[in-house]
Amino acid sequence: MPEYSAFEMIAFTGSRQLEDRKIVFVGTGLPIIAAMHAQLTHAPNLYMIYEAGSLAPILEIGMPLSVGDTRASRKACFLKGLCAVFELTQRGFADYAFIGGAQIDMYGNISSTIEGSYYNKPDIRFPGSGGAGAMAANCGKTIAIMAMEKRRFCKQVDFITSIGYGDGSPDYREKAGVMGSGPYRIITQQALFGFDEKTRRMKLLEVRPGFTPQQIQAMIEFELIIPSKVPEMAEPTEEDLHLLRDVIDKEGYFLKRVVKK
Amino acid sequence: MLGPVSSKIKSVSKLKYDEKPFEHWGLTSNEVRKITEKKDHGLYDKRMTLKEAVAKFVKDGINLGVGGFVNTRVPAAIIHEIIRKGVQNLTLSFQSNSICLEWLAGAMIIAPEKVSIKRVELAWWGYELIGIAPLWRYLVTNRLVETDDYTNYGMSVRFKAGAMGIPFIPVRDHGGSDMELVNRGKMIVCPFTGQNIYLLPACNPDVGIVHTTAADMYGNARIFGALCTCPEIATASAYTIMTTDKVIPTETIRRYPNLTEIPYVCVDAVVEQPFGCYPGACYGYYWFDMDHLRMYRGICDEFRKTGNKDGLTKYFNDYIFGCETFDDFLEKTAGYKKLRYLRDMDGGQPIYTL
Repeated sequence: MPEYSAFEMIAFTGSRQLEDRKIVFVGTGLPIIAAMHAQLTHAPNLYMIYEAGSLAPILEIGMPLSVGDTRASRKACFLKGLCAVFELTQRGFADYAFIGGAQIDMYGNISSTIEGSYYNKPDIRFPGSGGAGAMAANCGKTIAIMAMEKRRFCKQVDFITSIGYGDGSPDYREKAGVMGSGPYRIITQQALFGFDEKTRRMKLLEVRPGFTPQQIQAMIEFELIIPSKVPEMAEPTEEDLHLLRDVIDKEGYFLKRVVKK
Repeated sequence: MLGPVSSKIKSVSKLKYDEKPFEHWGLTSNEVRKITEKKDHGLYDKRMTLKEAVAKFVKDGINLGVGGFVNTRVPAAIIHEIIRKGVQNLTLSFQSNSICLEWLAGAMIIAPEKVSIKRVELAWWGYELIGIAPLWRYLVTNRLVETDDYTNYGMSVRFKAGAMGIPFIPVRDHGGSDMELVNRGKMIVCPFTGQNIYLLPACNPDVGIVHTTAADMYGNARIFGALCTCPEIATASAYTIMTTDKVIPTETIRRYPNLTEIPYVCVDAVVEQPFGCYPGACYGYYWFDMDHLRMYRGICDEFRKTGNKDGLTKYFNDYIFGCETFDDFLEKTAGYKKLRYLRDMDGGQPIYTL
């Protein structure tokens, strides 16, 4: 297999989760790349929503560097504002939320607001919900990209920004008044996770070749559901890497990014 | 703020937060209507300089509704003038923004006697690709501002409710997240379905600031590219200051009235300011200037990490306090070649101003 980077693996794995003839509401960065890859491979009839207001653009003048980038409006079918696209979502037209976050718990609740125990004077302040909270509430299914570290896959997130399955009770989302079905896939460079239908707890679905389920569990603070057989994650081919590097993110804005702690 | 009805958020959250009785952070729908009723609703020439517009409408203690979205169609020129005029005890309302807020925060840090922010109701404050907003992190972790968190839809639809003249609006998000605990929305049981539904208070700023693609002298405005939440902010606010890249004839507006996104009655000042979003982008005219955003962000991050204000002070002295107009700022920072480059980078996005 060809050499690939962590970001390339995440983008490729994200692409594999997206079905054709669906709408994905994308966050900035790797979700955009994953959706563009899916469109160029197995899902030519997959379309994107960008929260500043565009539906189904054709990104012919380049990959948008953010969801508000003017490039994200190029040749859209529909171009209004935030209210319009979030209302389409609330109404049920967006199949996937594709977001990120700083912390996640076993029920897929995600924080992107603060780190620390006290809202009014947190240890760290992040940008905030942005669209993520609304997307996780009302898109059909939520897909999230996370960095796998113990402090990020934790027993208790400091602030639930993007709703998952809450405390895991069957009526949590109903009592919250939200419409989407909730967390569907969590993507890291080492493993792919889903959620157990009965308990709504995070479940290991696939591991990257070279990793064992035990190694994955060791990187996570809460207990995973680990099936007896865990298949290996598919790896990107030369053609996938060519699309990612030479067609989608030509300047390497996201795929060649250096991660700062 | 947990109401009499709630989701099951308390069974999962361990967050500590200050409980406070509900308070309006801007005008109520009744108050804003009274102001509107007293206005001249005729067509009259609203063109003025940015200095005149900001001096007339921007007062201490106001709720300022900021248009645009992150780096796109942000009212940078208006913020630039607001900082030079000075304003105290601002409440800032917006969905997602970058440079406008980091400029105000920078001014508050180096010249608190001129600019101060009291509280912020928002969804998101950052630069996206370019990084987190250092001064936002600084202000909140040092408890220098009060915060109230919503989603991008939440803030947008709060302006929409404000624009509709109603006091609140039901939404399908926020419930079951910690925003239900800390923000000023409330969960109720829907009187029709019997199911839980979250209500958000309308947002009616005292002053809304927006930049548009083109407008006539009365304030009828066209917006191309994403509308962001600009029409809602302009309509919800008691007074709206609009910069526009191009003033166009009213004949043009009347030819295709469907293209008017903001009607003249919602606008109080029209300022023609080419490149008025710089270093942000304006669809059809120019892309954002990543170099300038990175440069200013770097200066702010340096301050956050070291506490040394020298770089920040120099930036403000050179580029904000040291300018008489926004055109001065454009000349000192961007210059013709950079603006030409940003125009090319827009990629010829289609706009219609005929």
